[in-house]
Amino acid sequence: MAGERSSQSSEIALVQAIAGGSHEALAVLYDRHADAIYATASRLTSDRQVAEAVVQETFLALWNRAESFNPVAGSLQAWLHTIARNRTVDRLRAAGRRPGLFPLSAAAGEGEDDNGALERLAATGIVVGAGSGPASPDSAVVAGEVRMMLQHALSGMPEVERTVIVLAYREELTQSEIADRLGWPIGTVKTRTRRALRRLRETLADELGPAAAVDEMPVPTGEGR
Amino acid sequence: MDHDEVREQLELAATEPAGIDRLMAGDTPLAAAIAAHLAGCSSCTDELDRLRRAAIIIGDAVRTTPPPELRERTLAFVREVGRIRDPAPEAAPARLAPVAAVAPVAVAAATASTGSGRGLAWIGAIAAAVIIAVAATTFVLDRQSGNELAAAQEELTAAREESAGLAHVTAATLALAGEPDAENVRLAGTDDRWGRIVYSADKGELAVIASGLTEPAGDREYRCWVEIDGQRTPVGKMFFGGDLAFWAGPVETIDDLPPGSRFGVSLADTAGSDVDDPPVLAGDVGE
Repeated sequence: MAGERSSQSSEIALVQAIAGGSHEALAVLYDRHADAIYATASRLTSDRQVAEAVVQETFLALWNRAESFNPVAGSLQAWLHTIARNRTVDRLRAAGRRPGLFPLSAAAGEGEDDNGALERLAATGIVVGAGSGPASPDSAVVAGEVRMMLQHALSGMPEVERTVIVLAYREELTQSEIADRLGWPIGTVKTRTRRALRRLRETLADELGPAAAVDEMPVPTGEGR
Repeated sequence: MDHDEVREQLELAATEPAGIDRLMAGDTPLAAAIAAHLAGCSSCTDELDRLRRAAIIIGDAVRTTPPPELRERTLAFVREVGRIRDPAPEAAPARLAPVAAVAPVAVAAATASTGSGRGLAWIGAIAAAVIIAVAATTFVLDRQSGNELAAAQEELTAAREESAGLAHVTAATLALAGEPDAENVRLAGTDDRWGRIVYSADKGELAVIASGLTEPAGDREYRCWVEIDGQRTPVGKMFFGGDLAFWAGPVETIDDLPPGSRFGVSLADTAGSDVDDPPVLAGDVGE
């Protein structure tokens, strides 16, 4: 509890610093909150460009309206999520779309369980209904802790491996398309992809169990490309 | 196909758009061979199940992680189109009339924290005091009228100046504390005086907060200094907010401080540049 108060106090100070013109304070708060804002916006819209625009507009609003943040009314996280949600809905309305549905755990922040996420989202007006989620594997979502571990694993893996994973899952490119995009031999793309996947699966071992053993993967030629 | 061949195909399919579904559709010789293997191999079937779930989780994590370059784009976007604000001051103006709510809360919390050795937790208490100061003054402002309103307005302006300075040094301290090479130096003095310095040699910046000092007369000021091999170099003038004195900014002389170096705070003539007076606060690097 004392830690929470200290954290909230430091955020209040940072917002005050923004009101005083500190771009450094804005950068600190970006590092703390951008991931969660982007994740929520991208799940609501399923559109990377819209999610990026929402993040930019949310932090612009924080800069322009720092004085209007009232810590008594709620946390900075809740305030930023309200702004982000409004920006997201505005953009979806402009495009004639509706927000997507996503499970509570997908919106949970660091160290936040479903109940905490529900309370925060309900306070911001994001939640319009609740019920049991579907039980199929397709309903699997990334709990905050697992998601953070995956992000950490992604940031720590070799650049060439991170590149293929990002192109595969974010750009939704096939291995042939990745090879064309990067000018790598297809065999190199496949080897790096499998290596990267195995690294990430190690992070998920507690969730899914370890990957099945396979023969040692060969080191591709042109590793440094 | 043997196990390794099947698992290689499954892994590669797991990273392609709908790759596993396409592979399992069974409309190619490769898919048919894999399906035949899976029909009689429970371990590969289990591996397929794990891969399906892993692909969903990893895909979600990657898709919902902002691209690294978005950070700089966002900060540049704000600089370009955001409202123009006065940049944060190097430190608050020297004229800072004490605001009743600030000093007791901040100093009490900070002193308690110092005693228990809880690192930088006292910064949060100071920050909270900033908010209390502004909120209390605003409350007063709401209840005034006429000439009292002008006086309250002046008090509010002073409190805001004070808050901006404290918020600036708090933010600077937090940022420095997060640097990989951050160093924390305790400053000790007589009576109830204490202080903290946080600095980063790589960043070339330092922040200092001190308690128990009294704002000196107009021709005198407190200065923070660093002493290297017995030679003192001024770091910055201490500004005041309530009972707190503080300074934050760039310093050129803190790179690779040798053993025996120390920081301190001394009174000095505003007209001069020396820091030769006995220290009212001092602390050794590395202790």
